[in-house]
Amino acid sequence: MALADRDALPALRSTPAFRVFTVFAAVWVTVVLCLGFLGAVSALPILEHTARNLYFHVPMWFTMMLGWLVVAYQSLRHLMTGRRLHDVRAEQAAHVAFLFGLLGFATGTVWARFTWYVGTDIWYNGDPRQVMVVVQLLITGAYFVLRDALREARQRGRLAAVYALFATVTMPFLMYVLPRRMESLHPGAEGNPAFSEMDIAPEMRWVFYAAVIGFLLLFAWVYQLRVRMRVAELRLDEREPEA
Amino acid sequence: MQPVLDTLAAARDTTIALLDTAAAHAMATQPPQGIERVMLAEDKLPVVLAVVLLIWAGLLFFLFRTDRRLAKIERRLDDQ
Repeated sequence: MALADRDALPALRSTPAFRVFTVFAAVWVTVVLCLGFLGAVSALPILEHTARNLYFHVPMWFTMMLGWLVVAYQSLRHLMTGRRLHDVRAEQAAHVAFLFGLLGFATGTVWARFTWYVGTDIWYNGDPRQVMVVVQLLITGAYFVLRDALREARQRGRLAAVYALFATVTMPFLMYVLPRRMESLHPGAEGNPAFSEMDIAPEMRWVFYAAVIGFLLLFAWVYQLRVRMRVAELRLDEREPEA
Repeated sequence: MQPVLDTLAAARDTTIALLDTAAAHAMATQPPQGIERVMLAEDKLPVVLAVVLLIWAGLLFFLFRTDRRLAKIERRLDDQ
């Protein structure tokens, strides 16, 4: 591909299809919220109503991981084709995925405070799951630090893409394999299955799947907005370098 | 069902044992203090609300930030 083509950015627009999608996503998430609060949940000691956090806390992680798969895919495409658009998409997916990761950590901490640590003043106790999550967030956060450190656009795109791929590989281990093998208060530790330990009522399972889909839809929405925003900025920069 | 409840009771006992025993004793004998008075009421439903509000706040923050950046772009377009 000629050098000029590689840096070319398409004029992205808000299409009617996208508008329909956003309305669909909004309705879906609203329904999930209603079901989440009104639906039946298993009666569990200590957890009580906080079992409903299954619908809100857990999808944060699914979204973060799938978001990071988008980063990996776009990074790979950038390395293969050199096209700037893929670099833009990778960076924006990383931003949104990181947001969901932060939200997952924050919501998990709040949930733990009033269940695992109820009666104490402890917000964070070095539980293996919490530690792994912090490490994961540091690894993904370093992606942005790396990007900031590199001035030249082409080099930045390529190095960030390589780092993103490495970061993606760490994810299954830090988020899934390691915490499950360690002693932890988090469901799914020490080789136990995560779901049956909570004795999920059948209705909960379906609301949970709907919640995961809902937050994935939200991710797609925010991601698309961010990509359009960034492309618009870059196209403006080309036409008229910012003072 | 009973084995599940037994497992959960054992898990709760482990939780208490893992934490400082003095704190655990305090928890068993005292009514909830401070923020727990709100959060543990209504079978801990406020905890679910706190989680949802956190997510909502994060999304709102992102939405407002994006809107500000878009406004900047639009201003630059107007200046052209």
